[in-house]
Amino acid sequence: MATDDSLSFGRYTRELNVHLDEISYNEMIPAIELDEQGNEKPHRPSSIAAGRGDIYRLLKPYLSVRFNDQFRAVTPLAIYLVLFQIFILRQSIADSSIITAGLIAVILGLMLFMEGLKVGLMPFGEALGISLPAKAKLLTVVVVVFLLGIGVTFAEPAIGALQTAGSLVDVRQAPYLYFLLTQWAGTLVLSVGVGVGLAAALGTIRFIYGWSLKPLIYMTLVPVLCISIYMALDPELSKVLGLAFDCGAVTTGPVTVPLVLSLGIGIARAAGRGSDSLSGFGIVTLASLFPIVAVMILALTLSMSYSPSEIIAASTMAQAGSMQIPWYESSPGVEIVGGVRAIVPLVIFLLLVMVLLLKERIPHAKIVSFGIFLCVIGMIVFNLGLSYGLSKLGGQSGGLVPAAFTQLETVADSPLYVLSLGLFIAMAFAWVLGFGATLAEPALNALGMTVESLTSGSFKKSTLMYAVSIGVACGISLGVAKIIFEIPIAYLLVPGYLIAIVLTHFSNEEYVNIAWDSAGVTTGPVTVPLVLAMGLGFGNALGAVEGFGILSMASIGPIIAVLTTGLYIRRKISKSHVVFDDSLETVSVV
Amino acid sequence: MTTRDFTVLTDVSMITCIIQRGKADAIVQAAQDAGAQGATIYYGYGSGVRERLGLLGLAVDVEKEIITILVADDQVDRIFERMYFAAELDLPGAGIIYLTKLEKAATYIPREIIEKVGRAP
Repeated sequence: MATDDSLSFGRYTRELNVHLDEISYNEMIPAIELDEQGNEKPHRPSSIAAGRGDIYRLLKPYLSVRFNDQFRAVTPLAIYLVLFQIFILRQSIADSSIITAGLIAVILGLMLFMEGLKVGLMPFGEALGISLPAKAKLLTVVVVVFLLGIGVTFAEPAIGALQTAGSLVDVRQAPYLYFLLTQWAGTLVLSVGVGVGLAAALGTIRFIYGWSLKPLIYMTLVPVLCISIYMALDPELSKVLGLAFDCGAVTTGPVTVPLVLSLGIGIARAAGRGSDSLSGFGIVTLASLFPIVAVMILALTLSMSYSPSEIIAASTMAQAGSMQIPWYESSPGVEIVGGVRAIVPLVIFLLLVMVLLLKERIPHAKIVSFGIFLCVIGMIVFNLGLSYGLSKLGGQSGGLVPAAFTQLETVADSPLYVLSLGLFIAMAFAWVLGFGATLAEPALNALGMTVESLTSGSFKKSTLMYAVSIGVACGISLGVAKIIFEIPIAYLLVPGYLIAIVLTHFSNEEYVNIAWDSAGVTTGPVTVPLVLAMGLGFGNALGAVEGFGILSMASIGPIIAVLTTGLYIRRKISKSHVVFDDSLETVSVV
Repeated sequence: MTTRDFTVLTDVSMITCIIQRGKADAIVQAAQDAGAQGATIYYGYGSGVRERLGLLGLAVDVEKEIITILVADDQVDRIFERMYFAAELDLPGAGIIYLTKLEKAATYIPREIIEKVGRAP
């Protein structure tokens, strides 16, 4: 016990370091102000001007946390690609300084965008979700959700990667694919958006009436598989299949998922269904299946209106004529226009609904508009980083990996390894890339925690994360194999989805929801462009017609993996129950 | 009739510290290093200075953690001050710390300590 007659060293040093002052709080209270009638005016505190040192100390932890989040997602992948290229493929990195700058731009852009989403767009969406069902009829709500689905698709950062990918496709080899990605790029994104919008609307109705997800999955997959088989039989249309399935994976990114979910959950809560723990799931699944159908229908429409030869002729004409590219179609103008075009229409739409339909004021208008400003800036920086960093690095690595097993003009003394070892290296490269990228995805961590609490711990977070990552890794490996051996994508996807349907039939509702949603969650803003660019680079180096399809394999992989794990867990649990019951019986017999 | 012993602690003060979500652990550690025995953390939601900082207020989280620590009167100033600096409360919007004098508290007290410092039964 401390006594007062001794002075501890700690107390002594404290007296040297700290100068203690006392102020009465009474001296700090504001004076009461009165208006003309002598009534008391409500007190409005003046704003505080923080000093320069304080601003630094306030902002430093705030910024560093957000920077580190994105840094952790991007850097390990970039380092992996660079190390692989240098040590296994023994190639130096071309344009390394531009790529580094691009990667920094990706990190900064994502950081700004995510923060803008959090303080700007999300509160907007939540406010809508709460007040919309209270003030509008169900039909109006569904229409707004549908339009919002279209809007968020344009705002999705990864959708830009699709358009970048278009420039890598050769018009003569895959005319429909080329046309969809260049001339009809806007229509393509729009049709994806319509798919997402329909999914969001249907998901909302499902929330309200509490429908099961299983019949919806069957109902969507039957047309998907039928059209796939039809398209796979047509030599020209089959080249678009990979793109169609990849579109499904691209849509469910960091904008769509939280914004549509926040609106949907708000509506479900207003309808009195919010207590259902699984109500948040399902929309993501539908949002990754519907766009597939939408893009397929678009491709069919295209094939009916133009013949391949017409497209080839038209595009060669266009290439010859377009010597003078306007500023908004060349870099960096295209990125800036793209960033503004992605966010502004969505914001205007939300604003119109808020002001005209609900007649409500925007909460915290100043902070919300700052958030939207951050979103636009972040999107522009991210797009720039995408073009100069991620896509470039992914394309380069993808283009060089085939040198492990085949002869490439760009790589001296290729093939670097004997055929079997080289093929193994290429597949292992894809596997590790998929595994690492998925495990690093922040959305997966969040999903894992939700799932663990939903299943009361029987489906552990780490189990889910590894199941999904292994599923993605195997999917990406298979996708690479598809490009190497030129397997038609339908041969992989149709059986894959058939297996998924069978597993869905035997699984219970909870695991079905989790499994189908996990596919959508894994494909974030870093993974998508990297894998897309890698696949296209890979395809180009091998002279394959198109490099799409890897992403779609990466989304069917985790569905099967998680469903299988779910069935295994259920068997294990029911087995332990049987043992328990037996012991009970013996006890009662004795 | 059996008698049961009941010892209450006097000379106790309560320190309450409200800071942004996620910062409590470091502050509790600082308090424990200075001799505090335990701490209770709960979650809350609130703002005040945040609104007055303008855009800079975005850097301040509205979700808060509230630490309460019971300390002996002899150590209270020392721990109070350590927590203030650990929490960087000299920043606008960082939080607030306050001290409440308690009348008494009761909890588990190790037997040998009761025998050592307590009055003879």
